[in-house]
Amino acid sequence: MSPPVKIFRWRAVGPLLVLFVIVCGLWWLFADRIARRESQNVGTQLLGAKVEIQSMHLDLAHGDVTIRGLTVASPHEAFKNLFQADELGKIGIDSLDPRRLSTIPAADALGARADSSRHAWQTAVDTLHLGPTLDSASATLERLRHARATDLGTINAGRQAVDRLKRARDRVTSLERNVTQGTANLKSGLAGLDSARRRDYAFARSLLKLPSLDAPAIGAAVFGPGAIKPFEQVLYYAQLARRYMPPGLLPRATTGPSRVRRAGEDVRFPKERTLPGFLLRSAELSFLLQPATAQPQRYAGRLTGLTSDPALYGRPTALVASGPQLAAGAMLNHVRDIPVDTAGATVGGIRLTPFAVTGVPLRLDPGAATTQLGFNLNGDTIHARFAIRSSNVRWTRDSGFANSPIGDLIWRAVSGIANLDVEARLSGALQHPDLAVRSNLDDAIASRLRAVLGDQVAAAEKQMRDRVDALVDATVGPVRARVNEVQTQARAQVVQQRARIDELQKNLEQRLRQLLGGVRLP
Amino acid sequence: MLTLIKLMQSLVGALHSEGRPGQLAAGIVLGSFLGLTPLVNLHNAVIFAALVLLNVSFAGGLLGWAVFVPVGFLLDPLFDWIGHSLLLAPSLRGLWTSLSNTPIIPLTNFNNTVVLGSLVFAMVFALPLFFATRLGVVRYRATIGERVRQSKWYRAIMASKAYNVYKLFRP
Repeated sequence: MSPPVKIFRWRAVGPLLVLFVIVCGLWWLFADRIARRESQNVGTQLLGAKVEIQSMHLDLAHGDVTIRGLTVASPHEAFKNLFQADELGKIGIDSLDPRRLSTIPAADALGARADSSRHAWQTAVDTLHLGPTLDSASATLERLRHARATDLGTINAGRQAVDRLKRARDRVTSLERNVTQGTANLKSGLAGLDSARRRDYAFARSLLKLPSLDAPAIGAAVFGPGAIKPFEQVLYYAQLARRYMPPGLLPRATTGPSRVRRAGEDVRFPKERTLPGFLLRSAELSFLLQPATAQPQRYAGRLTGLTSDPALYGRPTALVASGPQLAAGAMLNHVRDIPVDTAGATVGGIRLTPFAVTGVPLRLDPGAATTQLGFNLNGDTIHARFAIRSSNVRWTRDSGFANSPIGDLIWRAVSGIANLDVEARLSGALQHPDLAVRSNLDDAIASRLRAVLGDQVAAAEKQMRDRVDALVDATVGPVRARVNEVQTQARAQVVQQRARIDELQKNLEQRLRQLLGGVRLP
Repeated sequence: MLTLIKLMQSLVGALHSEGRPGQLAAGIVLGSFLGLTPLVNLHNAVIFAALVLLNVSFAGGLLGWAVFVPVGFLLDPLFDWIGHSLLLAPSLRGLWTSLSNTPIIPLTNFNNTVVLGSLVFAMVFALPLFFATRLGVVRYRATIGERVRQSKWYRAIMASKAYNVYKLFRP
C-alpha cells in the first residue's frame, strides 16, 4: 500500500514569502516609473494627443498622487481640413474619362434590354400560331360564301371558326398588354438615360473645378476651411466626453490594456444605486494674469459633476468659465440614454492670425475680434453656430496677383470694407452635417467674380456639356433608335394581327347572319 | 539555448521524478493556466501560489507554462471572441454586474475579453488535459521510461546544478 499523498508542500512557504518581499521591493523601486509610463500611455490614448509627464509619485499610504511637468499636445494640429475650396478659374476637361460616365453603361444595358424584349416579343408572336387559325377561318369564310342556309355543317364550322378567332384575339390582347408594359419599361429606361446624362454633366463639372458664383457658396469657399475648425474641436471633445462618460447603464466596451498578448476589450458593468467609478463633485480654478498691472485679469472656472457614470450620479456635468471678455458654459447631460451636450462661449479681444482668403488673391487680418460659439449635440443631431465679428480688419494684396484683373476687381471690392462679420452654422445628422457659411463679404466678392468670370464659366460649362454629349451620343443615339424601333415594331405587329383577326371575325359573323336570316341556331 | 536545455531538463526531470502521474498532470494543468491566460493577472498569482504550495509537480507546471504560452498567443482571437460573447450576453449581464461590484474580483480583470475567454477555455480544457497527460505519463514510464533513465544524456542533464534547485520543489 502506497503512503498517502501530502496535499501541501509547506517547505515552499519560505521561498514564496521571499518572492513576495522581492515583489514589494520592486514595487517600491519602480512603481513611480511604471505609473508615469502607463499614465502617459493611457492619457495619450484617451485624448488622442501626446501626453508627457516629467515625474509622478504614488503615495499609497496617504492616497496621494503627485504629477509634475504634465504636457498635453494639441490633438488638432494634424487635422486635415474637412472642406477644401477648389482653385478658381482653372479649366481642364482632358481628364474626362469615358469609362467614368454612367450614361454609357446605362445605354448599353438598355440596348441589351431592348434586344431581349424584341426577341421575347417575336417569340410570343410566333407561339400565337395565328397563321393556321387565320388560314382556316379564311377557308371557312370562302365556303360560307358559297353555302346555303340549309348547309348546317358549313354554318357550324363558321361558328367554330368565330370562336377560334375570339380565343386568338384574347391571346393577342394578352400579348398586347405584355408589349405595353415592356415598352413602358423601355421608355423609363430612356428617361433614365437622361438623368444619367445629367449626373455625367455634374461629374464633368466637378472635374472642371469651376467656381460657384453664388454668394453662399463664396462664403463657404472663403471662410469654410477656417470656420470648420472650431466645430471640429468642440465635436472632438464632445465625442471624447461621450466615450468616457457614456450615457445609460449598458455595458461599455473599451480597448483593453496594451500588452504583448492581444489587448481585447475591457467591458464595464455599471450598476444602479451604486457609486460611480469616478466622480469629481465640484472643482474650482481661478488665477490672475498680469497681477502687477493696474487692471489684473482675473479668470475663474467651475466644474461640477464630472463622472465616469453620469447615469449613476444622476446629474449632468456643468462647466462655467468667466474672465475679462470671456464667458463660457457647457453642460453634458449623459444621464439618460440619449446624451445632450450643450456649450456656448463668447471670447472678445482675441487677436486672430492673418490668413490667406482661399481662392482670392488677398490676405485678411481680422485684428482683435469677438468670437461666439454655440453648440448643441442631441443624440446624433448637431446644431452649432460659430461667429467672428471684427470692426478693424485689414486687407493685404497677394503679390502673385499684382497684375491680375481679377485681383484688381476683388481688391477694389473688399479693400474698403473695415467690418468683418462671419457666421458659420453646422446642422443635421452628425454623419452628414450641413455647413452654411455667411459673411458680409460674400455678395461683394460674388458680384465681382460674376462680372469677370461669369462668361468664362458659362463657356466652360457649355464646352463640358458638348464633350460629354460627344462621348455619350455615340452610344446613346443608336440605342435610343433601337429602342424606338423595337417599340414601333412590336406595336405594329400586334395591331396588324389584331386587325386581321377582327376583319375575318367581322366577315364570318356577317355571312352567318346573312345565311341564317336572324334565326339563332342552338 | 539555455532555456531549451532547462525546458528539456524540466520535462525529463518531471517524467522521471518520484511523483505520481496525477501530480505531474496536475502541475501541467496549473502551468497551462499560466500559459494560456495573460500572465499579469490576480488569478495567475493564485495559480502560481497553488503550484508552489500544493504537492503537485512544479517542473510540470513550468513545462505546462512553457508549452502553452505560444498556444495562448495563437488562440488569442478565439479567447477574445469567447470573452466578448460571454461578457456581452444579456443573460449574463446580472452576473457580471454583481461580480464587478464585488470586492477583489475586479482585480482579476475578468471584464477583459481575452482574460475571461482564455480563463474559461483553460478551465474547460483542464480536465481533458489532466487525464490525457496522466495517461501519457503512465504509458511513458511503462514503455521507454527505464531505457531513457539509463541513457548517458539523461545522467548528464540530471547532473547539472539546476537540477538541485528543481529538487526543492519536486513532488
